[in-house]
Amino acid sequence: MTALLAHWIAPARRRALADTLALAMPLLIAGGVVGWRWGGLVITLLIVAIGSATTILIARRSAARFDRAWLIRSLDNSRPELEDSSALLFAEDAPLAPLQVLQRTRIAARIDQGVPDDLRPGWSRRTLIAVSIIAATLIIAALLWPRPDEGPPTLAAAQEGLPARPGIPRLVAQNLRIIPPSYTGLPLRDSASLDARAPQGARLEWTLRFDPQPSAAVLTMLAGQPLSLRRDGETWIASRTLDASFLYRVDPTAARGPTPPLHRIDAIADAPPQVKALSPTASLSMVTSGQRNWTPAFAATDDYGVAATARLRVTLAIGEGENVTFSEREIAVTGSGPARDRRFAPRLDFSSFGFVAGGDMVVQLIVRDNRAPTPQEVRGPSMILRWPSIKEPESGGMEGMVNTTLPAYFRSQRQIIIDAESLIKQKRGITPDRYIMRSASIGGDQQILRGRYSQFLGGEEEGEPPLPTADGHQEDDGHDHGGPPKQPSTGFGAPEDVLGDFGHPHDDSPASSLDPETRAILKQAVDEMWQSERELKQGRPDLALPFAYKALRFIKEVQQATRIFLSRVGPELPPIDATRRMTGKREGLASRTLAIAPVEGRDGPAAAAWRALGDGLDAIRGPIALGALEEWTRTNAGRLPDALALSGAIDSVRSDPACMACRARLRAQLWTAMERPLARPARRRPADAGGARYLGAIGSAQ
Amino acid sequence: MTVQWTVALLFGLATLLAWARLWLWQRGGLATGRASPVRLALLMLLQPLVSALLYYALFPPMVGVGTPDLRIATAGTSRLAGAVDGAPLILLPEAPVIGGGEATPDLATALRRHPGVRTITVLGNGLGPRDIDAARQVAVEFDPPPLRPGILNLTPPPTVPAGGRFVVGATLAGLSDATVELIDPAGRITDSGSADRDGHFLLAGTARAAGAVSFTLRVRKDKRLIEQADVPVWVTDSTRPRLLILAGAPGPEVKYLRRWASDAGFDVTTQMSAGGGIALGDAPVALDAAGLRRFDVAIVDDRAWAGLRGPLIAAVRGGLGLVLRAGGAIDGATRSQWQALGFGLSGPAGVAPLALPKASDEAVARTRHGIGSDEAPVDMALPEDFAPDVGRLGLTPGGGAAVPMLQDAGGARLGAWRVIGIGRVALFTGIDSYALTLTGRRDLYGDWWNGLLTAVARPAPSSHMIPGILWAGERMALCDIGGDGQVENAAGAQTRLAPVAGCGAFWPARAGWHELRVKDALRPFYVQSHDALPTMRAARDRQAMAMLSTTTPGAPAVAVTTGGSGSAWPFWVAWLVASALLWWLERSRVGRRAVLSSSPVEPALATASAAP
Repeated sequence: MTALLAHWIAPARRRALADTLALAMPLLIAGGVVGWRWGGLVITLLIVAIGSATTILIARRSAARFDRAWLIRSLDNSRPELEDSSALLFAEDAPLAPLQVLQRTRIAARIDQGVPDDLRPGWSRRTLIAVSIIAATLIIAALLWPRPDEGPPTLAAAQEGLPARPGIPRLVAQNLRIIPPSYTGLPLRDSASLDARAPQGARLEWTLRFDPQPSAAVLTMLAGQPLSLRRDGETWIASRTLDASFLYRVDPTAARGPTPPLHRIDAIADAPPQVKALSPTASLSMVTSGQRNWTPAFAATDDYGVAATARLRVTLAIGEGENVTFSEREIAVTGSGPARDRRFAPRLDFSSFGFVAGGDMVVQLIVRDNRAPTPQEVRGPSMILRWPSIKEPESGGMEGMVNTTLPAYFRSQRQIIIDAESLIKQKRGITPDRYIMRSASIGGDQQILRGRYSQFLGGEEEGEPPLPTADGHQEDDGHDHGGPPKQPSTGFGAPEDVLGDFGHPHDDSPASSLDPETRAILKQAVDEMWQSERELKQGRPDLALPFAYKALRFIKEVQQATRIFLSRVGPELPPIDATRRMTGKREGLASRTLAIAPVEGRDGPAAAAWRALGDGLDAIRGPIALGALEEWTRTNAGRLPDALALSGAIDSVRSDPACMACRARLRAQLWTAMERPLARPARRRPADAGGARYLGAIGSAQ
Repeated sequence: MTVQWTVALLFGLATLLAWARLWLWQRGGLATGRASPVRLALLMLLQPLVSALLYYALFPPMVGVGTPDLRIATAGTSRLAGAVDGAPLILLPEAPVIGGGEATPDLATALRRHPGVRTITVLGNGLGPRDIDAARQVAVEFDPPPLRPGILNLTPPPTVPAGGRFVVGATLAGLSDATVELIDPAGRITDSGSADRDGHFLLAGTARAAGAVSFTLRVRKDKRLIEQADVPVWVTDSTRPRLLILAGAPGPEVKYLRRWASDAGFDVTTQMSAGGGIALGDAPVALDAAGLRRFDVAIVDDRAWAGLRGPLIAAVRGGLGLVLRAGGAIDGATRSQWQALGFGLSGPAGVAPLALPKASDEAVARTRHGIGSDEAPVDMALPEDFAPDVGRLGLTPGGGAAVPMLQDAGGARLGAWRVIGIGRVALFTGIDSYALTLTGRRDLYGDWWNGLLTAVARPAPSSHMIPGILWAGERMALCDIGGDGQVENAAGAQTRLAPVAGCGAFWPARAGWHELRVKDALRPFYVQSHDALPTMRAARDRQAMAMLSTTTPGAPAVAVTTGGSGSAWPFWVAWLVASALLWWLERSRVGRRAVLSSSPVEPALATASAAP
C-alpha cells in the first residue's frame, strides 16, 4: 500500500524540490558574488554553505506538503471516476468493511487510467524570472560597485605638530597611497601616516590638504630634488616612484613658516630567490644498481614569487683517468606549488642523456624570480650523481685512501701448494736428493712468503721457534755462530715491495694498518706457514701440504675480511744538519727594510660631532656646525648602518639646536656610525718618589 | 683658646688685682690703725665670688639635666613614630612629615639644642654622611631595615683607551636570577648576563673615539625593570707607545703583530733575524741600554730573548715593559731562564690546544664593532663560524710574585706579569695568535695583545678619571689640587675650590660629567643623580652607621662646654646682689674703728697737699 502511495506522491515531491532549488540557485550565486566582492573567498564559501543548507531545508519542507491527505484530495478533485473513494486505496491498515473492499477493488482497477505525473505542481515561472532578475541585478551591482581604494582616498588628520598661525598654510589632512609593482601581487595600500615602508619600485601618491590654501607647495627631499605638489580641487597631489629610501618634509610655506618634521620612506628591496636541495641532501650520491633515472628535488623560495619555469644545467663527465669528456646542456623544468615556494623535481633519464657507468652527472638549478623589468637569477647548489665504473673498484680519494690487499701474495701461497703437489706427483721420476733439494727450494719460497706476512704483523714472527738441538747453545759458548743472520734473499715476492724499497711507508709499521681480528687470522696463517716451511725444508712436501692449505684458507679469510686502510700522516722531514747551515752561496742577500703603511681611521667628523654633542671637555652647548658631518654622512653612506636615520637626526639638530632630545638622538646615531679604532694601551701613571724608591728597593733585593 | 677661657683668665686676673689692692689698703689701714681683719676677710672672699658670678652670668652653666636620650627620624621613618611615647623626637630634613617632632637642619644642631644627650636612637634608613661625624659623640642605637633589592655596588671601568674593551663590575643585593644588561649609548644591548651566587657579575663593552660616554646598566627580573644606573666611561687617546718587536726568525706572528701595532698607531720598530747576520724589518737600532731606553715596551720571542737577556733585563729595571712570547714549544734553557725571572711554570712541556671563547651572537657583536672601512671591512666571527687553530704552551705561568692575566675559555691561564725594578715583564703562552685576525676575531686578538701591553708598558702621565661613585647634593673631597682648582659641570658652570692642605670640598649640585681643572691637567669625574643607585647609597650609609659606637659615653659630650640653653638671669641677680654687697661693704664703716675726728683731717690733708 505504501508503495502505491509513494508511486503517486514521488513526482510531485520531486517537482517541489526542483522548483525550490531552481528558485534558490540565482540567489545563492548572487550571495556568493556579493560575499566574494566584500569579504573574500572565505565569506563566499560561508554564504554558499549556509544558503545551500537553508535551501535544502526549505525544499524538504515544501516537498513534505505533498502527503497522503493531499493525494486523496487531488485525486478526488481531478478524477470523478474514482467516485471520491480514493481514500480507500491509500487507507491506513485499518480493517475494511466488505463493502469498502468491494469499492476499493473497483477503484483500483480505474486508478491506473491516469499517471502520477498529472498531479505534480507546475513550475513557479514568474517567481523564478523575478528572482533571476533580482540576482542578476545584485551580481552586476556587486561587480560594478566601486572599490574603496580605487576612488579618491579618505584623508587622515595630519600630525605635524606645528602651531597654527594665521596666514601661514599648514598641513591639515594627509594620505599616502602606496601602489606596489604589479609583479609583487601586493594590494594597493593607503597609509594615514606619511612615514611608510614600501617595496622598491612602488608608486607613491601623496594627497594632502592645507589650510589656508597655499600658493605653491613642495615635498622637500633631504637629499635630492624637491617634488612639487599639484593642486587638484581642494587637495594637493604628487607622486613618484620609490627607488631608494629617502627623507622628506611637506612644506606648503616656501620655507617661510616653521620647519615641519621629517618623514621617512623605506624602500624594501626585492630579495633574490633562494634555492635549496631537498633530495638528495648530500651533494654527492651514487647510482644504485638497477637505477635508470634520477629525480633530484629542489625548493625555490622568494619574497614575491619564483618564476614557474627554471633551467636545469646538466653537466656530464664521461670517461676515466685522463680521458674524460665533458658535455653541458640546459633543460627547462617546470615547478609546482605556490609561487613563493616552488618545488622543482625534474626526472632525468640516463639513457636520454647518455649517462653511463664511470661518469658523473652534475645538475644545478637556475631559477628566476618574477621581478619586473629584470628578474633576479640565482644558481642553486650543484648536485653530483656518480656512477662508479664497473671495472675498477671505487677509489678516488673522496672517502680516504683505500688500498686493496696483497693480490700477489695470495697467489704465491697457492703457487707453493701447486709446486708442492707437482713435486709429490714427480716424486717417482726424480732422485731423492733432487726431491729433497726441490722441496727445500719450495720451503725457501715459503720462508720468504712467511717473512712478508710477518712484516704485516710487525716482524714479531721473525724469530724462529727454538730447535730441540739448541738446548744450552749460548751466544758466548766458545764457537763461531756465523755472524748476523742474512737478509732473506730478494726474489720471490719482493717486486711487490716497491714502497719499501723506493720510498718509506708513512705508518709506523704495516701492522698498524690491520685491525686486531685480521691480525689474529694473519698470525694463524703465519703459524701454519711455519709448519709448512719446516716440513718442506726437511724434504717432506706431503706433510707440508695440510699446513699450506690451512695457511691458504686463513689468507683467503683475510682477503675476504678486510681492506687495509693506510693512515694519512704529514711528511716527516729529515732532521736539520747543523753543520751544513749557512754554508751555501749568499751573494745578494742582505738585511732589508720591510715597508708598512698603517691604515688610518676615518671617522673624524663623526667623532668630533660626538664630542661636541656630549657633556664632556669638547662639548659645544650652542649651535653646532654640522656641515662636515653631513657631507661625511653622504659620502660614507655605504659604510653606515643607517645613514638615513643619521641624516634625519642631523637635520633635526640643525633646525632646532636647543632641542636636547634631538641632540641625544643624534648622539645615539653617531655612536653607531663611528669606527672602533684599535686600542692603544692606557698608560699607568709613573710612580711618585716614594713609590719609585719602594720599587727600586724590592727590585734590587731580587 | 676659647672665649670662655679668655674671660675666665681676665676675671682671675681682676680678682688677683683686687686682692692686691685690698692688701695694700689693709697695710695703709694698719698704719693708720683703721684696719679690720674681719672686713678684709669679707672683702677678700667677695671678690672671687663676684668674678665667678659674672662669669656664670656671661656663660651660664647647664641648668638642670636634660633628657639623655633622643630619637632621630631619618628618611623612611614610619609616620607612627611621632605617636609613640618615648624620648623626644628629632626630625632631620630627610624625614617624612611627622607630627610631634622637633625639626632640625642636622644632627649636630639637635645635639646642641639638647645638651646632655648620651644616646640617640636612629629611626628609618639611617644617618647620611652629613650627620655621621656628629653621631660619633654619642651612643647610637640603630636597627637597620632590610636593604632594598638592587645594585649593591657598581664599579665603572677606570680610564679606557679609545677603541678599547672595558669591563664593568657590579654586585646585586637580594636579586637571585636577575638578568643584567649593558646598554650602549645608542640604546642597544651590548652585553647581558646574570649574576653569580654572591650577586657579582661582569659585563663588557667597547669604546669608540675619545671623550666622555655614559653606558647604562639595567637589572631586570622576569622582564620587569628593577633598577638602572649610569655607567660613566672616560675614553682617552693615550700617547703613542714606542714598541720594539724582536723575533729570532720571520714569521706570521711577527707580521700580524707589526700590522696590528702600526694600525693602532704605535711607533713600531721590528727586528727579525733571518740568520747569518741578516735582519729584516725596520732600520736596525742599537739594542743596548741607551737604545732600549727609547722604547716603552718590547715584544720578544724566545729565540731573540736568548741573545739579549742582559740588556733587556737591565732596561726593564729602568722602566721598560717586556712581553715574552714563545714561537713554539720552548726548550729547557729558555724555561729555566723564564723561571729565573720569577715566573712559576707548571704543567706539561710542549704545545696544547687553546680553547677559544665562543664568538658572541650577531646582534651583540654588531654593537661591539664599529663601522668598517675599505681597508678594514667589518669582519665578524659568528658562533657557528670556523674556530681557528690557536695553540698555547702547556706550561702555565704563575708564581707568587706574578699577577695572572688572560684566560682561555677552558680556564687555562695564558699570561702573567710581574714587577722587576720599576719596569714590568709579562709572559704570554699563546702561540700563533695571528690566526685570530684571519678568522674574524680581530677584536679578541686586540684585547689580548693590548691587555699584555697595557699591563707592562712604561708608565706615562695621562688623563685619569677620579674613581668612585658620587651623588649630587653630597659633599665630596677633591685632593691633590694644589693652590688652585676649578670644577666645571655639564652645564658649563665653573666653581673655584678653596683648598685646605691640598684638598678642597665640592658639593655637586647637578648630575653629569664634571671636570676638575688643576693648572693644565684635567681630571673628569661623574656625578650620579641624587636618587640614582639607592641601594648602594643605603649600603654605604649603613656601613658608616655600623662603625659608630653603641656604648654610652661617660659624659655627655656636647653639653657643658657649648650649653647655651641654661638661663643666665639668676646669676646676673646673684652677681648684682654680691656686687652691691661688696660696694656697700667697701663704702660702709662696718668693722672699721670709728674715728670720727679723723674724718675732717682727710679733706684737710687733701687741701694741704693741694695747697702748695
